[in-house]
Amino acid sequence: MEDLKQLYEAVLNGDAKASRSITETALKNGVDPLKLVNDYMVPAMSEVGRRFETNEFFVPELLIAARAMKAALDQIRPLLTARGDKPAGLVAIGTVKGDLHDIGKNLVAAMLEGGGFEVIDLGVNVSPEQFIKAVKERGANIVAMSALLTTTMPSMKTTIEAIKTAGVRDKVRILIGGAPVTQKYAEEIGADGFSDNAVGAVTVAKKALGI
Amino acid sequence: MSDHIRIKLHPLGKTLELPKGTLLGDILFEQGVEFPCGGKGQCRGCKIKVLEGTIPPSAEDQLRFSHSELLAGWRLACRAKVETDLTIELAQWKASILSDNSDFSFVPKDGFGIAVDVGTTTLVAQLVDLHSGQIWAVRTDLNPQARYGADIMSRIEYSLNGGGASLTKAVQSGVAALIDSMLKEVNLPKISLRHICLSGNTVMHHLFCGLDVEPLSHVPFESSRTGLQILDGTNLGWDLSNTTEIYFLPCLGGFVGSDILAGIMATGLHKGKRPSILIDLGTNGEIAIGCQERILCTSTAAGPAFEGARIHMGMRAITGAISEVNAVNGHLHCRVLGNAKPVGICGSGLVDAVACFLDMGAITPTGRISQGNSLPIVPPVSLTQRDIRELQYGKGAIAAGIRILTKQYGISLGDLENVYLAGAFGNYINHASARRIGLLPFPSEKIHASGNTSLRGTKQALFNATAMELQYLDICSLVKHVSLNEDMEFQNIYADEMSFNNQ
Repeated sequence: MEDLKQLYEAVLNGDAKASRSITETALKNGVDPLKLVNDYMVPAMSEVGRRFETNEFFVPELLIAARAMKAALDQIRPLLTARGDKPAGLVAIGTVKGDLHDIGKNLVAAMLEGGGFEVIDLGVNVSPEQFIKAVKERGANIVAMSALLTTTMPSMKTTIEAIKTAGVRDKVRILIGGAPVTQKYAEEIGADGFSDNAVGAVTVAKKALGI
Repeated sequence: MSDHIRIKLHPLGKTLELPKGTLLGDILFEQGVEFPCGGKGQCRGCKIKVLEGTIPPSAEDQLRFSHSELLAGWRLACRAKVETDLTIELAQWKASILSDNSDFSFVPKDGFGIAVDVGTTTLVAQLVDLHSGQIWAVRTDLNPQARYGADIMSRIEYSLNGGGASLTKAVQSGVAALIDSMLKEVNLPKISLRHICLSGNTVMHHLFCGLDVEPLSHVPFESSRTGLQILDGTNLGWDLSNTTEIYFLPCLGGFVGSDILAGIMATGLHKGKRPSILIDLGTNGEIAIGCQERILCTSTAAGPAFEGARIHMGMRAITGAISEVNAVNGHLHCRVLGNAKPVGICGSGLVDAVACFLDMGAITPTGRISQGNSLPIVPPVSLTQRDIRELQYGKGAIAAGIRILTKQYGISLGDLENVYLAGAFGNYINHASARRIGLLPFPSEKIHASGNTSLRGTKQALFNATAMELQYLDICSLVKHVSLNEDMEFQNIYADEMSFNNQ
């Protein structure tokens, strides 16, 4: 459908106004909300990610694309909840204790939502206790941690240890990311997955849950 | 038959040997001489007096000097080419520090002092006659800590991993070497060296003084040990008189250290009736805004793009670096430092090049190269897409810092009276290009290249040198440190300022 191709363009080009109105119209016309997400919005964000990797797109383009996707998702989410669609998973995401950087983390949160996850964004400077609380009280089955400084990366390790001590390690998959973070570090501290880009984070999250 | 020329520099008594035809400005820059207008012949800041030998007057010399001054041998160092053996006197190192615009007055004292700017990358020290304010020796060298990490965060990490003592030893011995060298040259009795004042950002302050940097490695990135530090020459292992007092000036908050405190003193920011802004266009990108009522300061972690780092053909401002780029009829013209063949590009050249490419449409307002993957400047130097993104990160950080700090101060950009650019890069950056890329959103008339304000303010401190005065309680109580990412709009403003839309 022509109109729907425009939804892809609207997200790709970060036009939140257009993505909101096209989504509204499409939903009114009875288009399946999941089709909008899976056939147009997610591919658009994948393309955004690909263009960022090649330096064709930059941080501002990522942010406005994420905003455009959110504008569409905000209308879709209530419909999916109403009809009993289960999210792919429940992610508690945050930047670890001691760190304030959140642009990357915010992009990952947006991508995970597009990927069908429900996301609890705990913000920045998040203590291990706050992550554990999200697991115990809200039933998060994924903990996603971000750090941008080599000096705050160790908080990832302490958080994982705290999750073990709290007796809920087997209830969650733990994913990590951030500029200084590597696959090797993820394995070293016993994380379940790692991604160095926001688009890849969704794949890693799904793989971690076996979906 | 030698085509080498010998140049004797007064008052330092130093002799350099250079190829005939060398541009004097390029050589003197490496010696620590400042060029306030960026070496364009538009001021008299680099003036030298020819005592022996000849330098034919240039067109700019004729404009800047009176006839009798020209006859007396005054020339602009930035316009001079070395053709004969010369003995020259550098006015900058002879002039009393009173020649600043600030209404700084000092009581002449006996003896000498040493001012040290402990930069993350470069150490600079000057030996000052406390009676006249004249400079008797200058030394600069790379900070030896660089082998443990180029930036302050990596040095903090090294320290947390047990390397603190090595970092302290490295910088202390680096400074000691500068001091030793100057004292040997000038041959002073040790007892006449009365004070040594040092300044640097908070991490330099802590590492030099052996203080724990752990609080600076995580939120809220604040240390409790930011005050004036009084050091003991014996503890440092320095062979000085036990009457020589050694002080590391106090920090302002967060990563903003005594280098900015000194910069505030040197520019007189704290005395202005209306708010002005001090910007250090270096890796840490510190900014201070204010006047006699109050001052806000912050650091922006701009990154080293302006110093040529992380740019694929980037280099520091030394021989071979493209330092200026202009477009004439769609063709690019460059100036290369040292008049050598271009091998790379430095910060000022990068800013010029991007400004030109934006005007030509070769780079879009979002920062993307319109066609292809790279932009040739002059063979073999070109810019890649990644280079432009690095510049966007750096200028976005500084521009966001300027915008957020003025917002928090409660004024608009146009309300700022003076824009003081600190740091060597501030001398060289072209104001129009900086405005074009959205880095410095100010009209050129308001911008004043201020050179090494940290060093100048530290020299002023030599004349205030009692422990009580050096706490600078009056200035520190005016200053409030602000953390940019605590501002609700930070992410949006930072992302916004990364683009080239705002011109």
